[in-house]
Amino acid sequence: MERLSITVDVVTTELDEADATPAHRPRPTRAHRPWTTVLGIMAAALALWMVLDATTLRHNAQVSPVGTRRTVALAFLNPLASTTSVLQIADFEKAANALLGRDGNVIGNGQTFAVSGPKSKAHPKAPAGPHGTTPPVNLLAHPTAAAPLRALLIGDSLGLDLGGSLQNALAATGVVSATLDGKESTGLTRPDYFNWPQELSGDLSNQHPEVVVAMMGANDPQDFLGPPDVPFGTEAWSTEYFHRARSFMRLATSQGARLLWVGLPPMQDPVLNQKIEVVNALQRKAAKSLHGVEYISATKVLGATYSPFTTVNGQVINTRTPDGIHITPQGGSLLANAVVARMHGALGINLP
Amino acid sequence: MLFPTTDFAIFFLVAFTIMWALNSKPALWKIATLGLSYFFYGWWDPRFVLLLVAETAIAHVGARMIHRSTDARVRKWWMIGSVAALLGILGYFKYVGFFAVNVDNVARSLHLGNLVPLIQPTLPVAISFFTFMAISYVIDVYHRQLEPALPLDLAVYLAFFPHLVAGPIVRGSELLPQIRQRRDPNNLDYSRAFQLILRGMFKKVVISSYVGTAIVDPVFISPHSHSALEVLFAIWGYAVQIYCDFSGYTDIAIGLALLLGIKFPINFDAPYSADSLQDFWRRWHITLSRWLRDYLYIPLGGNRGSKAEVARNIMITMVLGGLWHGANWTFLIWGGLHGGGQVVGHLRRERRKAAGLPEPTPSRWRHAWSVFLAFQFVCLAWVFFRATSVSNAFAMLGRLFTGWGMPSPLVTFWVVVSIAAVLAIQQLPQRLGDRFVAQMSHTRLLVQIGVGAVVLLVITTLGPTGVAPFIYYRF
Repeated sequence: MERLSITVDVVTTELDEADATPAHRPRPTRAHRPWTTVLGIMAAALALWMVLDATTLRHNAQVSPVGTRRTVALAFLNPLASTTSVLQIADFEKAANALLGRDGNVIGNGQTFAVSGPKSKAHPKAPAGPHGTTPPVNLLAHPTAAAPLRALLIGDSLGLDLGGSLQNALAATGVVSATLDGKESTGLTRPDYFNWPQELSGDLSNQHPEVVVAMMGANDPQDFLGPPDVPFGTEAWSTEYFHRARSFMRLATSQGARLLWVGLPPMQDPVLNQKIEVVNALQRKAAKSLHGVEYISATKVLGATYSPFTTVNGQVINTRTPDGIHITPQGGSLLANAVVARMHGALGINLP
Repeated sequence: MLFPTTDFAIFFLVAFTIMWALNSKPALWKIATLGLSYFFYGWWDPRFVLLLVAETAIAHVGARMIHRSTDARVRKWWMIGSVAALLGILGYFKYVGFFAVNVDNVARSLHLGNLVPLIQPTLPVAISFFTFMAISYVIDVYHRQLEPALPLDLAVYLAFFPHLVAGPIVRGSELLPQIRQRRDPNNLDYSRAFQLILRGMFKKVVISSYVGTAIVDPVFISPHSHSALEVLFAIWGYAVQIYCDFSGYTDIAIGLALLLGIKFPINFDAPYSADSLQDFWRRWHITLSRWLRDYLYIPLGGNRGSKAEVARNIMITMVLGGLWHGANWTFLIWGGLHGGGQVVGHLRRERRKAAGLPEPTPSRWRHAWSVFLAFQFVCLAWVFFRATSVSNAFAMLGRLFTGWGMPSPLVTFWVVVSIAAVLAIQQLPQRLGDRFVAQMSHTRLLVQIGVGAVVLLVITTLGPTGVAPFIYYRF
């Protein structure tokens, strides 16, 4: 075979060839065992690991979607985790988490895409107003590099799709300090999995944003955990979700920041799309009921019905990913343009 | 079903038990292996199991017809037809959306209206991997390097779950004989397998996840928000992330197969210790490299012909290799950079040869400098591979020149240590780990169980909650 410039001359096809040892050194020999013994070792090691890691495994089961899988897992892990807690076996993991600084939100652990544009000289700690209330933040109509606008971008994976493009667009202006705090597979339905109000409170305290942009909800069409559980699609679920969304929006504006809430785009799967329409309607209703909250419809940008493509200025753009749910960077840029336009239009912020 | 999950651990324990219990009954072993593999693949989307079955059927019929015919033309047309059908399926699912958008935009600019339908099918997991395996099977039968396999054997070969979703791209000549023969149930190289699995999990769950979330993802999302130093470390960090992610998957896959009595070829050999791009491709994704060599580069003419022809062959191979990873201009540029770099290297070697100059004297410093340069070039190409768009890639590179003098909070001690450690380990011989594993395998079983459980605990404790899919699942 000819010698080639691009690839391998000799491809090792036997795993053991990778172990070839120089002749002068005795080759270490590995013990080989029957499959039944190996099965025993694997099963025992996994069982021991489950005992050592029972608390985390139980937590992971608790925050998984409601259903048979979760029920079965908890039936097994609850007594196991309780036993290991009594025996203080879980202390090892607690110590490790403390060492790693993982004492934040349940799964967030502070592991967010927290990145900023030009820093303001200091994030001024808002002085407390009378009776402990926080006065409204004065929105900067003409932010500068020396006094940049502080923006906080939050959301689930769709929020990250928007947030990446938006943060880049805002950072490129040179007059916005934009922090992106996103976590995949989160929302407002399952605070046991990820507590967004808690996360947002932390962000508000740390960042003191003047503008908050939020986009989340695609994971929300699921039952509220009880007891009793509140099934998605019922009147009780809609009432509860409206209150949660409204309360979250009030929290976002509680220190005077203006909130731009971006609705969800249509989904390819008709069943999921119907659910998303329910979530969108409730989020819009909540936004409209509050002062200081602007609702931006993603359907006006990416289409009222699902399509992977959008035509802009005569050019076809692929705006949705092949999973029929998420948004491509190009789609994110379109949505980011709509957000920036609303910042300019409704909030009167002038960006270069 | 991702490898480092509890779901998969349970699945594998069941699969391991069933497959070894049926080891003495070859037909049942194959049926069970196929059923388990289809179950594994159907976990993502059961509909796409039909796609796997369809590709198996095309490869089987094509190979049978090629083997049956004695007429060279008929054989050739069956080969071309089968390969075209397989590539057609791959093309439809993977490239039709990209193709449609670009054709449509050109047509619009020429006022030709809407020439092609705009569609974007859902991309089935791993389609690129099993399609390439099916193509290699058909071509090997055409070249009489392989006898056609029984339909069940072929189906197991293409669907065998350890390699199914992200390789290695195993050849028929490597795997089919192992499927046909009975495996030795009393002689499992289990300690080597455990080492590979735990090492792969550590690379993926701990290092790849950490470097990805700590610096790579935030910087690539918004390069304008970051300093030049952060961008530089994000680029190096991505080199480490993708290596740990993909080689971690491969380690796990090889280890799992080994536990089932099957040997896979290696897929990585310390790629960042390469001292040239040519050397890099001998060490990175080896099974794809040799596929491209044997089924694309050599048929194009390989090293035969003029300098221009060789350069053309290299460029076509590398650009198509880039496109194999995905339908995006960024992958084409990535392939083009590697192709261009190799063409330059090839021409330099040829010029030296033509001038009668001797090979440069190897020295430690010269080698270190070559390794450094090769790594930096590979990193430059990785920018395009990772970037979400060409403009995103240029924003990253531009930031290297404009972003100095800013604070770099993402370049932390642990980020630097993680990147440096992965790169440094590749420069060392890998004997220590092997000796440790060999010694461990002779210790008491209780000790081995304890060590295994504690290593698992360390991995799950240091890793994030919820593991992101492997990068190469997308391809």
